[in-house]
This record gives sequence, C-alpha cells and structure tokens, in this order.
Amino acid sequence: MKKTLALILVGLLAVSFVFAAGSGEAAPAKAAGPVKITFWHSMGGVNGEAIAAMVNEFNTINEGKIEVTYEYQGTYDEGFAKLQASGGNYPCDIMQVYDIGTRYMIDSGWVLPMQTYIEKDKWDINQIEPNIAAYYTVDGTLYSMPFNSSTPLLYYNKTAFEEAGITKVPTNFDEIYEAAAKLRVMNADGSVKRYGFGMGNYGWFFEQWMGKQGLHYVNNNNGRGEQYATAVAFDSNGGGLAIAKVWDKVLKEGIAPYLNIGNNDAKAAFISGNIAMTLESTAALKSLLLNIGDRFEVGVGYFPNINKDDKGGVSVGGGSLWMLNTKDTRREDATWEFVKFMISPEQQAKWNAQTGYFPITVAAAETETFKKNIAEYPQFQVAIDQLHDTAPQYAGALLSIFPEARNVVESYIARLANRTIDAKGAVDGMARDINKALAEYNLVNY
Amino acid sequence: MRITTVQRRKLQNAGRFVLNIPLMLVILIPLLYTFSISVMPPDEIYNNHLIPTSVKFTNYVQAFTNPYYNFPRMILNSFVVSTTVMLGQMVTCSLAAFAFSFLEFKGKNLLFLAVLATMMVPGEVTIIANYLTMMRWGWLDSYRALIFPFLTSAMGVFLLRQYYLTFAKELYEAAKLDGCSNLRFLGSIVVPLSRPALGALGAYVFLNTWNQYMWPLLVTNSRNYRTVQIGISMLYDIDAVSLGLMMAGVVIVIVPSLSIFVFMNKQLINGLMSGAVKG
Repeated sequence: MKKTLALILVGLLAVSFVFAAGSGEAAPAKAAGPVKITFWHSMGGVNGEAIAAMVNEFNTINEGKIEVTYEYQGTYDEGFAKLQASGGNYPCDIMQVYDIGTRYMIDSGWVLPMQTYIEKDKWDINQIEPNIAAYYTVDGTLYSMPFNSSTPLLYYNKTAFEEAGITKVPTNFDEIYEAAAKLRVMNADGSVKRYGFGMGNYGWFFEQWMGKQGLHYVNNNNGRGEQYATAVAFDSNGGGLAIAKVWDKVLKEGIAPYLNIGNNDAKAAFISGNIAMTLESTAALKSLLLNIGDRFEVGVGYFPNINKDDKGGVSVGGGSLWMLNTKDTRREDATWEFVKFMISPEQQAKWNAQTGYFPITVAAAETETFKKNIAEYPQFQVAIDQLHDTAPQYAGALLSIFPEARNVVESYIARLANRTIDAKGAVDGMARDINKALAEYNLVNY
Repeated sequence: MRITTVQRRKLQNAGRFVLNIPLMLVILIPLLYTFSISVMPPDEIYNNHLIPTSVKFTNYVQAFTNPYYNFPRMILNSFVVSTTVMLGQMVTCSLAAFAFSFLEFKGKNLLFLAVLATMMVPGEVTIIANYLTMMRWGWLDSYRALIFPFLTSAMGVFLLRQYYLTFAKELYEAAKLDGCSNLRFLGSIVVPLSRPALGALGAYVFLNTWNQYMWPLLVTNSRNYRTVQIGISMLYDIDAVSLGLMMAGVVIVIVPSLSIFVFMNKQLINGLMSGAVKG
C-alpha cells in the first residue's frame, strides 16, 4: 500500500513537471515569427463561441503576421478583478471590460486610448454608432472600442396582451400599472397565477432610469467632467426617490412579485409565463425566444419611463475593448489591426446575428447578414430604434466604484422589498454608502 | 407467533429502506433534475417539466466535442491537480502530524499553535499575495501554480495529529526499543492504522481541490491548464443563458468527483474495519 502510494505520488509529480515544462514553450516568442497578442474576454456560452470564431478567422487572414490568443477570464467582475490584481504587469494586450469599469480603467493609467490609434491611422470615427461611442468618450477622447453593446428593453407576452385586449405597448410606469392589472390572472383560491409585470432587482435599471429622467447619477457632469465624481447626485435631484417610489408601489401593491437581485429569476419567470411583462437586455432576445419556443409570442417595447413626461434616453451597457499600454509598438500595432477587424461591418453583423448585441458599426446595417437577421427577429428593430432615439448627453454616468455602487443600490432595493426601509430611507442609505466608498477611493487614488 | 432472527433482520432492513428511500430522493432530486434539464429540449426547461418528453444528448456532445469548451482536457487537468494535491497533503500532513504527536522537541506546542493559527486566516486574504508570488516566479499558467500552494494544510495536520494522539505511547516506545526508525514506524505502523483518518482527509482534499474556482481562474490563462469548474462558467453567459448546456457541464463535472467519493468511501470502511480488528 505504502509503496504504491509513493509510486503514484512520484509519478504524478513527474507528470505535472512534464506538463509544466511544456508551458515554457508556449511563452511569447521573440521578434521572429508572427506577433502574438493576447485577448482577455468574458463571454461564455454561444457568445464565447462567437468570439472564438471571429478570432480564428482573424488568425487565418493574418497567418504568419499576427496571432491572437483568446482567453476566457470568468465573468466581467472576475476578469476585472484579475486585471486589477495584475494590471500593472500588462498580462494581456487587449481586454474586454464591462461598461461600469470605464472610469477605473481610465484612472488606472494602464490604458492606451483608442483615440491614439484612430488619429495615427486616420480612421474615421464616424463609422461608430454615435450613441454607443458617446458612452466611452470622455473629454473628446474615445478610450475604448465599444464591442458588445446592449440597452434594456421592455419584453412582453404578446399572446397575453391579445387575450387581455391590450393594443398599446406601455411606455411609462402609469401605463405599466394599468396593463399589469388587466394581465393579472388569479387562481380560484385567490392567489396570483400570473402577474402582469415583474422585474429583476438589477442596478443597471436604476442607472438607466436616471438617464431616462434626464438626470445625473453623480455630480461633476455625471463623472464625465474635468474632475472625477465626488458624490452621488441622484439623492439631491430627486431622480433616485422617483425610482425608489416606483419600486415601492410595484411591490407594496402587488403589481409585481419581488424577483431577487440580478435578472435570472425575472428571466425564468417571464419564460415560464408567470409574468407577462419584464425588463431585460436587448442581448437576451435570442435566448428568450429559444427557451420560450412556440408557447407564446414575444413583443418588445422601449424601456419604460419612470414619469410620464420624462425626456431623457437610455445608454448602452455591455462591454468594450481596452488596449493596454504595453509599450511594445509591434504588439500595439497588431492589437489595433485586431480591433479594426473585430468592429468591421461584416464581423459586427455576424456578431449581432449570433449574440444579439448591437452592431456598433453603422455600415453593418447594410450587410446581408444584418438584413437577414432583422427579418428573422423583427423585435430587434425596436432596440435599434430606441438606440437611435436617445442622445449622446444621456450616455450615463462614469464612476470609479460603479461595481460597488451597483451592489449598494441593489441591496437597498432588497431592503425596500423586505419592508425594513421606506423609499426615502432607501435613497438616503444608497447615497450615504456610495458617497462613503467614493470618498475612500478618491482619497487613496487621486 | 415468534419472530426468528432472520425475519427480524429482514424487517429491520425493510424498515431502513422505508426510511432511507424518501431521504435518498430528497437528496437526489436536485441531481436528477439537473440531469433531466441537461437532456431536455430548450423550450421545456422553463415549462414546469420534471421529466423531458424527448431525450437528447446534444448538449453533452456539444460540451465534449466543441474545441472551444475542451472538456476532456479540463477533466484531465482537474484529475492531475486534485490527485497530486490529495496525495501531497496525505504525505506532508502525516509527517507533520507524526512530529506533533510522537516526537518531543522544544517549542512543540508553540509551533503547533502557529500551524493552527494559519487556519484562522481565510484563503481570500492571501489569494492576491499568492497570485503575485506566482507571477513573479513565472509560474502562471502551469500545473505547479495549481498544485504547490495546496501541498499542505493546517486542517490536515490537525486532523491527523488528533488521530495519532489516540495511539498508545507504548507502541512508539516498543518500536523504538526494537530499533525502528521514526520514518519506518510512521510508514509501517502509524499510516496503516490511520487509514480511516487518511482516507477522510484524502476525500476531503480531493473534493475541495476539484471544486476550486477562484484560484485556478487567477493563475491559469490558457485552456491547456484550465480546470473543470471554470469550464462550467464558460458555459454560462449573463445575456445568453443556455441552461441545458450548463447542466450538461455540471453533470459531466459531478460524475468523476462522485465516483472518487464512492471509491474513497470503500477505502474508508475498509480502513475502519482493519483498525477495529488490529486494535
């Protein structure tokens, strides 16, 4: 027994060293051969497969010149945390970071703004959809290249709408309350069989509603001014309270069930037909349709306004591509070539068709791939219209501690749902916690 | 009418079954449902179906054969890493535990307390520091980075020491009188007698390593060294959820760890019995 154990152990250690030794060969080669660059991304499932296909195509076209390795780094949060831990060492050449990591990335100093190469290469920036580019533009500099962009939408059960005789898609919460009352179906015992409406407790929506009201989330021109944000603005401009009151009303009056933090439960409830309307990203359209099958028809509408007379617009969420300042010109040039390929109209049309993210390049709309996709999924046209109907000034806030702020917002909405706090208290609590975290961050980093 | 011993035993067995079957179902239902989802057509998943109307294994084929996911390689990686860590801990922990229980030396208690104190430090605290160390050594993206930080554990030392303390001191003294070296005593007397404890430690360490997520995600980059738990997260996307595929991944990942557990279970029982006879 002892001998076999020892043998196995020695054997395994030997095996591990052999494999470990093998890893040395994979290290980036010197000047000879193709330029090797590394691309960190956070796309799983079919979206990850789409990334792989695009990178492989790029490698085939550029064989012998550039070789891109794509490496999946977990969710946005995990990949971002990994970069934060190792960023100063430039572990990759290009990285996909989520929207709310933008301010941190700019402040980090590890980044080479896309604007640098756009000017060097005289690349026409107007090729990018302006309302998407606006989010990633600070002080006239486009820092990162938008890549997978989405906006939230109202999804509704068209079949249920027809049964209830509703013809107008709700555009604000007053209309949602009205429609939800008609859509609600009760069981014989008085419990609710189907709610008219339901939404996940997702911090992203809170940010979107600030923009929809045309108000700022943080001070200093929404964190986009000459100075970084120093405090939240949603408490003093009343925008936060308006949103919290909607949450309060929806839950207290039983218009919608509480569907937990994040969006997974809301998605499941909508797919299974337990809620007739929900809020969800444009990028979820395909997976929703796939999972619903032919049980009911899905319609989409604009993301609803908080108040009837809101004049603002939605901003994009999702991720963008950040070039790291590796100071190796050969690799940076190669990275720029790769970026240009990834946002080329053909690739963006393919990307859009496979994932449901917006094509960020205007010219993608002219491609056959895009036209075919929109014919197959006419709902997507609503998403495009909504994007065109917004304006760059509603691009949304930039905040260094956005991931944390989002958690704070969600946790206070959760307390609102538990009735341990009222709408006013929730907003005050959010403002207090976010301001505290922000003050600490600013003290340490600026 | 009198009940014979055989009949009584049969009745007892029947009673056990009656009690255990519902319990087993409660424990197994999440697993069975996971499996059921993984073979369901996608439009049935959210439709309150427990049992699929038609069974399809496309999700498994997809996870196994799609080179993007590369599951066979990840399973191999997890096996290599988990087994090495398990055996490594069994060796280092039994050596340390032997010293802490049988040997007498200055500062023994203090040293043992120091070892125990490391248990109070959550792994999350040291993860970044360890990562930076690995990076500086150039060990990122290798089996070394996955294995070396876990080759010993305070928990293992503590567990085995407590077990060794139950051994009669005379056993050690008698062996010493007969000229037995410390290592030989450990190898031919202590280890065979402590198979239940070693087996428990092994199973625990194997499963822990198998289930690791954050550390492998940090220290590996290429798909050649990624482990199975990362494989599951690769199947997930926030905007494009494909539950069937994910559940297929979960089932693929559970099967090897379950089988190891079953295998270890047998070891455990064997160990217990041999201990009982010899003791």
